[in-house]
Amino acid sequence: MFDRLHTIWGLLEGQRLRYLAALVALLVAAMLLYAVVIVPQVVLDGVLTDEIKEGSLPERVGLWLLGGREFLSENLWVAAVAVVGLTLLAAIATYFRGRWVAIAAESVIQRLRDRLHGHLNCLPVTWHDQAETGDTLQRCTSDVDTLRNFLAMQIIEIGRALAMMLIPLPLMLMMDVRMTIASVVFLPFIIVSSLFFFGRVKTIFRGKDEAEGRLTACVNENLTGIRVVRAFARQEFEQEKFYSRNDDHRRLDYKLYAVLSWFWAASDELCFLQKAVVFILGAWWVAVGSLEIGTYYFFIAAVSMYIWPVRMMGRLLAELGKAVVAADRVHEILESPIEVVTGSEIPSHGSLAGSVQFDGVTFAHAQTPVLENVQFNLSAGRTLAVVGPSGSGKSTIINLLLRFYDPDVGVVRVDGVDITTLDRQAHRGRMAVVMQDPFLYSRTIHDNIALSRRGATDEEVHLATRVACIHDSILEFDKGYETVVGERGVTLSGGQRQRVAIARALLQEPDILVLDDALSAVDTRTERLILEAMRDRHGKQTTIVIAHRLSTLTAADDIIVLDHGGIIQRGTHETLIAEDGMYRRLWEIQTTIESTEEEGRA
Amino acid sequence: MSSSPFLQEEEYAGGRFNWRLWRRILSHAAAHRRWLWTMIVSGMVLALVETLLPLSNAWLIDEAVAGRTDTAFKLYAAFYIVLVTMFSLLVWIFIRAAGHLATGIAFDLREQGFERLQELSFSYYDTRPTGWLVSRLTSDCTKISSLLPWFMLDLSWGACFLVGISVAMFLLDWQLALWVLVIVPPLSMVSWYFQRKLLRSSRLVRRTNSIITGVYNEGLMGVRTTQALAREQESLEEFQQQSGDMKRYAIRNSLQSAVYLPCIISLGAVGVGMALWKGGVQIQGGTDLSLGNLIAFMQYAVLFSMPIQEIAARITDLQAAQAAAERIQGLIETVPEIRDNPEVQAAIADAPLGGPEDGGLAKIHTIEFKHVDFWYKPDEPVLIDFNLSIAEGQTIALVGSTGGGKTTIASLAARFYEPQRGEILLDGVEYRKRSLHWYQSQLGVVLQTPHLFAGTIRENIRYGCLEATDSEIEQAAKTVNAHSFISENEGGYEAEVGEGGTRLSVGQRQLIALARAVLADPQVFIMDEATSSVDTETEQLIQAAIDTALKGRIAFVIAHRLSTIRGADRILVIDHGRIVEQGTHRELLQNQGRYWRLYTRQEAEEAESRMGL
Repeated sequence: MFDRLHTIWGLLEGQRLRYLAALVALLVAAMLLYAVVIVPQVVLDGVLTDEIKEGSLPERVGLWLLGGREFLSENLWVAAVAVVGLTLLAAIATYFRGRWVAIAAESVIQRLRDRLHGHLNCLPVTWHDQAETGDTLQRCTSDVDTLRNFLAMQIIEIGRALAMMLIPLPLMLMMDVRMTIASVVFLPFIIVSSLFFFGRVKTIFRGKDEAEGRLTACVNENLTGIRVVRAFARQEFEQEKFYSRNDDHRRLDYKLYAVLSWFWAASDELCFLQKAVVFILGAWWVAVGSLEIGTYYFFIAAVSMYIWPVRMMGRLLAELGKAVVAADRVHEILESPIEVVTGSEIPSHGSLAGSVQFDGVTFAHAQTPVLENVQFNLSAGRTLAVVGPSGSGKSTIINLLLRFYDPDVGVVRVDGVDITTLDRQAHRGRMAVVMQDPFLYSRTIHDNIALSRRGATDEEVHLATRVACIHDSILEFDKGYETVVGERGVTLSGGQRQRVAIARALLQEPDILVLDDALSAVDTRTERLILEAMRDRHGKQTTIVIAHRLSTLTAADDIIVLDHGGIIQRGTHETLIAEDGMYRRLWEIQTTIESTEEEGRA
Repeated sequence: MSSSPFLQEEEYAGGRFNWRLWRRILSHAAAHRRWLWTMIVSGMVLALVETLLPLSNAWLIDEAVAGRTDTAFKLYAAFYIVLVTMFSLLVWIFIRAAGHLATGIAFDLREQGFERLQELSFSYYDTRPTGWLVSRLTSDCTKISSLLPWFMLDLSWGACFLVGISVAMFLLDWQLALWVLVIVPPLSMVSWYFQRKLLRSSRLVRRTNSIITGVYNEGLMGVRTTQALAREQESLEEFQQQSGDMKRYAIRNSLQSAVYLPCIISLGAVGVGMALWKGGVQIQGGTDLSLGNLIAFMQYAVLFSMPIQEIAARITDLQAAQAAAERIQGLIETVPEIRDNPEVQAAIADAPLGGPEDGGLAKIHTIEFKHVDFWYKPDEPVLIDFNLSIAEGQTIALVGSTGGGKTTIASLAARFYEPQRGEILLDGVEYRKRSLHWYQSQLGVVLQTPHLFAGTIRENIRYGCLEATDSEIEQAAKTVNAHSFISENEGGYEAEVGEGGTRLSVGQRQLIALARAVLADPQVFIMDEATSSVDTETEQLIQAAIDTALKGRIAFVIAHRLSTIRGADRILVIDHGRIVEQGTHRELLQNQGRYWRLYTRQEAEEAESRMGL
């Protein structure tokens, strides 16, 4: 518990002084509010009752400050002014408390949000593969909101409850010891019962949050796959699935209300009993003449002032449970190790840069061996094609080259330098990758392309889009290059996205260009145009191409054939089709059609 | 194309409180009516109890001041205890009622929303991002359902309490009551003024918050791209602008509260001061105001601000949630463009058991497109007077450049969209006269980008036919030659595919999607560029499998590579929404038309590369 509160304490760094100032303002406000209560007490005892008594120290001080008995009984309005005036001061202190806490809390939360965003960007791809997007998103949003509520409101409410409870204690002791004891006798029960519920509520909250996560994930899955759902007319199946998640969530949510109903009812009962003890015992002592009516008033007013904050403390501790859970969940993300910074060397940008070497590389993903002893050498400016069936490890080669993963055994070198010794960002910055299903940001097409190179001019962007054969399509949109795409904008087709991504990669003018089945959704005619245009740029960069259409690959300088994580053939297109092996078999499959067509035409 | 409509929708609807909307939302809560009434009645009784507490206290004090400790004293004491116990009991009741109400309304809204989403046409989805829809069912529902019970409670409690306090004060001393009630107009005005301000600033906070959620979401979806582009730093800097805005707005909002509450406290103090001064003067003057009543007045003066504050806050809460209510209500009330018309619904109700649910023919022998016009946007027709007839056992290949309308034809065939003009006939019967559910369960669809659901491989294949046995599933996998890679993978059929199938390669996903479609044993097969990402060898195997799988079925196949469609019975070359050429592969080549040009270009490239050019 306390080590977890420590997490929250850690978050406050830099804002602790402001919190301290808020605490002082809070104490001042609490003191003033109790001073307000002494005014009627003084009036009741000093002016409105007949018998003159000495009274306790606070009362005597109060009477003196209000101008003495004679003056006050002539000018009762002074008491009213004192009540309003003191409350105004308390109100001003309360304002400053609110102001300082708001600034402190929002600053803490802004920093937390930034940290989360930055951290998520830097977490290795392997982490993202494992994590569920919906769950992560919930941690970044609703859990952060929970923390924000805690830091902006609850933390100060806890302080307020403590201040309201502790500040009147000395005053009460000076006034009447019996009444003081009567006024606090139930407080331990109230607090203990809070703590008892605190434990239970926390686990229920966690359960409910998880149910909520499952519910969200279920909706998300359904909606992203809605076309599949329709295609198989599986609406009922989906509804049943959703029903059970929804029902689960309802059940757990209600459980929370049920527990809270006991908690609130019980703690209200305890609070009222506490008040009843003060009311009735006090009245009794007033009746028998051992307590003055003004002092009695002070006690009943004071108990009403601190009992609710104290009772709230129970609820706040429950919220603290929520906040601790939220802090845990957020910290699970922040504590996940980011991509290890193994190197800091900045790779050199040279005209002849970009040679790639895989030296005995072995890699397993989740205990499944993916690559085994892969070895190849690609000189700068040349084109390597990687061929092989699904799951043969083609994409892993690229992931390793990009350092999304690091090899278990062996070394990947770029320009002869082990890439694990390089600064990761600088290393990635000299490569451009186009994946089969490229991601576009929710911004304009122009920005999506231009973000690969700072300060790119429109001409450069358009040059890249022309090479990628997307320029004309873009101009067909109503807003042309200013069309917003992605989640919040226009949905592009797979082929359009691939071509936009190719333009983005070309604009970057990378040393190494990687096309991972990047033309699969583009029709043959367009693919041919793109490849021709790119061939004109040949020699500018090292290129690695993965594709299933062998026609895409034939122009490559080197071809390696991958199967079950190992290179089974290598050579150029000519040497490979001369060889008996997988490549020739693939080639034959793809060209058999021709021979049948020859006949057809004859 | 227009940019997204969502940014505008995020803007909250005008400030007016929309009673009709909330009544409609409440109508969803009709099933929970008794809990609704429980809340309202609890609120009233609670107000009564709370009004009586200071009164009983006053009586007790007057007894005490008079020095009496007799039966009356004990009676008042006992009465007080009874009141507080009632109070706790009411608390217990209304929280449970609130629980039933909140969770029940959330459940129902979600259920109805989800059901509607299952029916809505793709045109609805085309303009709304998934994330946006997800938050309608999650946060919007939570927001509305958790507010309503407390709105009911606080409204009934607050109104009754205000009346109760006023009546009690007038009964005790009407002149003093007037003096204390002086604070009511400023109290109400201050509450109203600040609540309006708070409403506005909190809208800004929420809007920024939803933008931030969007940015996080995008960050997560595009993390590979961000890392590959090495733009983590820029991405963070962009985010910092948003989070900075958020901070500013949130502080503004908090500062407004920080002013509001002290104002309320001060006004309450004015009431207490009034009671003390005017009441004290009265007592000094020897009127019949008792000390107990004076104390009761001071207590009431403090209490008075509570219901005013609560009512103002609850109304504001509801108003703040109004946009959420509008969105969810809008979703539930949207009429799906594609659904069974009343006649079909009646036919489904009357249909005999066994056979299709609408009582029509079970077998589809032909599908015919007749004079079909279709557009996504009125001024951009995609298909114009499109005609096509396809019979059982035939495979139609759709060829042509991107945007020519191939995918649209497949979507129309699948009834994902319906033609705007013309008709599509199943054995001469317009398909809108058949049950949508029945028709779509006759389809096997493999989409361009295959989507898998989080779960095991087996579960994903089983999606094609929920009743399938394990061996049938494996048989389907074998048919599409997916069995070997599945059994080679660790976990085999029980391996988790990950969200959207990301733990499998695209080719593998495609194979699973194919197995799923094969398992469904559909009458109509629709493949949209499905084989384009599978490697050559696998594709060859699949091609063979599909050839068997397509036998006896009606099939639409879209592919880029001419090789994959050479086995089709008929090839349609589609351009600008029309069939520009059709025939068998051989016929088309002999025509030396569009198809021949498409075909020879690919061939030429292959020949050229073979010669090492």
